[in-house]
Amino acid sequence: MSSAGAAGTSNRTYSFKVVLLGEGCVGKTSLVLRYCENKFNDKHITTLQASFLTKKLNITGKRVNLAIWDTAGQERFHALGPIYYRDSNGAVLVYDVTDEDSFQKVKNWVKELRKMLGNDICLCIVGNKIDLDKDRHVSVEDAESYAESVGAKHYHTSAKLNKGIEELFLDLCKRMMETAHAEERAKGNGASQSAATRRGVQIVDDEPQATPAGGCCSSG
Amino acid sequence: MVAVEIERMLRLAEQCLDRAKSFIEKSSEPLDPTTSTSASPDPSVQHQTTVCAPAAGSADGFVDARNKGTSPTKPGHRRVLSDGARELSPFLPPEVFQRLQTVASPDACRKELTPIEEASRLNQKLKANYEARLARLRPGQAYQKTSLTLSLQRQMMENLIIAKARQDALQRKMEERRLRLQEEANRRFAASGAMTAEEQEQRLLYTNVLEYEQDHDWPKQWKAKLKQNPDESLVSDLVSYLLSRSDHPVVKMLRKHQYRIYNRLYPLVIKGAPQSPALPLRPSRSVHSLLHTESNWNPGRTAGRGVGGQSFSIDSSASSTHSHDLINNYSEDSEGEELHTQVTVYRENSFEDLEQFLFQLDWVPPVGATEEPASDSELSRDRSIQPEQDEGYIQGLEMRALKEHLKDIVKDIHIAIDQLLSLCLLSFECLNTAIFKDLCLASIEEAFFAPLWSALVALFRRVHREQEQAFVKSLRLYCNATPRDFGVPPKLFPQDPGALQGSYPYESAAQELKLILQDSCPQRKLECIVRTLRLICVCAEDYRCLQEVDSTPKTAAIGADDLLPILSFVAVRCQCPQLVSECAALEEFIHEGYLIGEEGYCLTSLQSALAFVESLCTAGGRGRGGGHLPVENSLEKDLHPLNSSSSSM
Repeated sequence: MSSAGAAGTSNRTYSFKVVLLGEGCVGKTSLVLRYCENKFNDKHITTLQASFLTKKLNITGKRVNLAIWDTAGQERFHALGPIYYRDSNGAVLVYDVTDEDSFQKVKNWVKELRKMLGNDICLCIVGNKIDLDKDRHVSVEDAESYAESVGAKHYHTSAKLNKGIEELFLDLCKRMMETAHAEERAKGNGASQSAATRRGVQIVDDEPQATPAGGCCSSG
Repeated sequence: MVAVEIERMLRLAEQCLDRAKSFIEKSSEPLDPTTSTSASPDPSVQHQTTVCAPAAGSADGFVDARNKGTSPTKPGHRRVLSDGARELSPFLPPEVFQRLQTVASPDACRKELTPIEEASRLNQKLKANYEARLARLRPGQAYQKTSLTLSLQRQMMENLIIAKARQDALQRKMEERRLRLQEEANRRFAASGAMTAEEQEQRLLYTNVLEYEQDHDWPKQWKAKLKQNPDESLVSDLVSYLLSRSDHPVVKMLRKHQYRIYNRLYPLVIKGAPQSPALPLRPSRSVHSLLHTESNWNPGRTAGRGVGGQSFSIDSSASSTHSHDLINNYSEDSEGEELHTQVTVYRENSFEDLEQFLFQLDWVPPVGATEEPASDSELSRDRSIQPEQDEGYIQGLEMRALKEHLKDIVKDIHIAIDQLLSLCLLSFECLNTAIFKDLCLASIEEAFFAPLWSALVALFRRVHREQEQAFVKSLRLYCNATPRDFGVPPKLFPQDPGALQGSYPYESAAQELKLILQDSCPQRKLECIVRTLRLICVCAEDYRCLQEVDSTPKTAAIGADDLLPILSFVAVRCQCPQLVSECAALEEFIHEGYLIGEEGYCLTSLQSALAFVESLCTAGGRGRGGGHLPVENSLEKDLHPLNSSSSSM
């Protein structure tokens, strides 16, 4: 187990969970579909369509498996949020630049995510529909300064024009990898393996483990 | 031939045991209330028995599903159930459970005779011969008789002595072998210096495995086969073959763990069923007890009913008729069909619904139930104000205790499965790769959970009783709601009801979801949930294409904004409150690797949908004054903040 430390990082596959938050009409579905449906592999689209998507990446020689969880944006499902975003490594919070209200909703989610998951989660605030810039109701400065104030990164995208989406997710992955590394260093070698496995941060390839499923529960 | 004989004997023994139990229980009953009233504040006990009836596994389809689930793997279960135990309780007493574990395995009875046993068999034959010869002798031949007797005695003695010597030699050999194997096991685990108890146990288990392999050839053959052709299908075959060998250490361990877990579950879930009819000594404080005091104390009716360790016959038979009347009154306008079709399991159902009835009494006087119980209930409510607070307190305590038990049992199950897996990998090292291990684990889990799931989920149901009740309430309110009422956009379901030909939208998904009760292995159940969500996507796609004939079909895919409302609708149409507990149990037993994958997402979505449905009855039913609001209206208001909020706020 101690071999899972910082030394053997090369043969590792990272598995990250990313939740997608945003009000109904902000275009989050088109955003992820754009991202996962490129011409090289359209089989990324699972049978669950845009609700649950996966993407495999190779970032600086390391394999990353991304699982993107869409959430329902409607107010009446708001209370159910926490069971969706527990254990997630990243969150993409989408608003519509032409809709001030959708930006307010993003602020609410940020508050909740920070409350539930602390600083372990990487936040991306995304202003979508920049192709409709003439109808913009959320100013760039406001959005960016808000993002900075809550420790999130801000991005501008257009799902329609396929702008900024690739960058957004690549950036997010890099940040999640950094966070995973930092977490690992802080924990030291093999000290409390259970916490890491439960959060689903990473899976070590081809390494036989003595205690698989439920192993964490046996310790406490 | 032999198996039939054994089965008959077992059944006979079982009947004796049950009879004895019912006698003991009957004779201890009169004592019971007095001891318990002095020992604990009693009102709750009565209430609890009523309240927990649904938890003992009653809701529609539960019994059937359980039978289907267990019968393919353990043919013995069904036999016993159909013999009568089923009528009284869905759960077998642990002793029966344990016996069935061994009966169910086909190779359990084949066993070689020891030399001594062989000799005594031989001697019996000799003796029979001798008796036959003796009978043929004429009265005058006394001398010959003596000689025959002597020679018989000599032969028998000789046989025994030879057998004894052989047995000793064999034993010595076995012991030597065991020592040798133990050394081998020690070598295998040589790396560690000081031995912990755990390591010691592991060595012992490994020695057992080695010993088994000395006696049996198949492990070697399988290992060779797998080496030659490391194929995934071969792995599953191997593990299922392994699990069918009842004398293999892995299987022995499996049995031991299963029995231990069942033994812990049994008292917790059997308590949920109405058991001892010890009502009359307590002050009446609920409609239930008021109604039943006269009819309860009727010892004559207990005779011969106590199969399966429960003697709740008087209580249940008396109350089922009463409560059924009540329910009939009450249910005329609300949930008639569901109840009336389930007459066969009505005892459990009636308890559930009676409880439901009581629950509603506290808030709203039911409209339909004016004739009989009105005065009674008034009376009982007046008396019950004070004790009810205590009841609430004690129920809280009991619930906390139950939750603790549940937590411990879940933990034990995880540990048991881990141990089984590691012993399995110890026995077959060739299985120790990532993929094979997963397959191995899947097979072990399937075998492990099959006989336990119904009892396990019954405990989950006791713990999640309130959520299930809320779910049932919402079901009653919204059973006829349309997808639109749940906020599904019109393009995602057919606008013309005629297009569905008598069914309802997303029926195939709802039917699939119902199948979840039939599996008894968490992994299978998860697969069922995934299939349900996929079907929803397929249906939604179809419905959209149906309406957008002209536009290109690939315009947009379904996101969670659409999926969750549809799933809520499907969950309601599924009409199965047990889903709540099933999902809670699945959450505990889903593999780490699946947690963030498609399985995890589907389970999370279903749980969200269920939670949303549960919340409907508190949100939509708060203001109603006894009657039922028209479903459409109440939902319209509740469920469509989406349409208005995006523009107004």
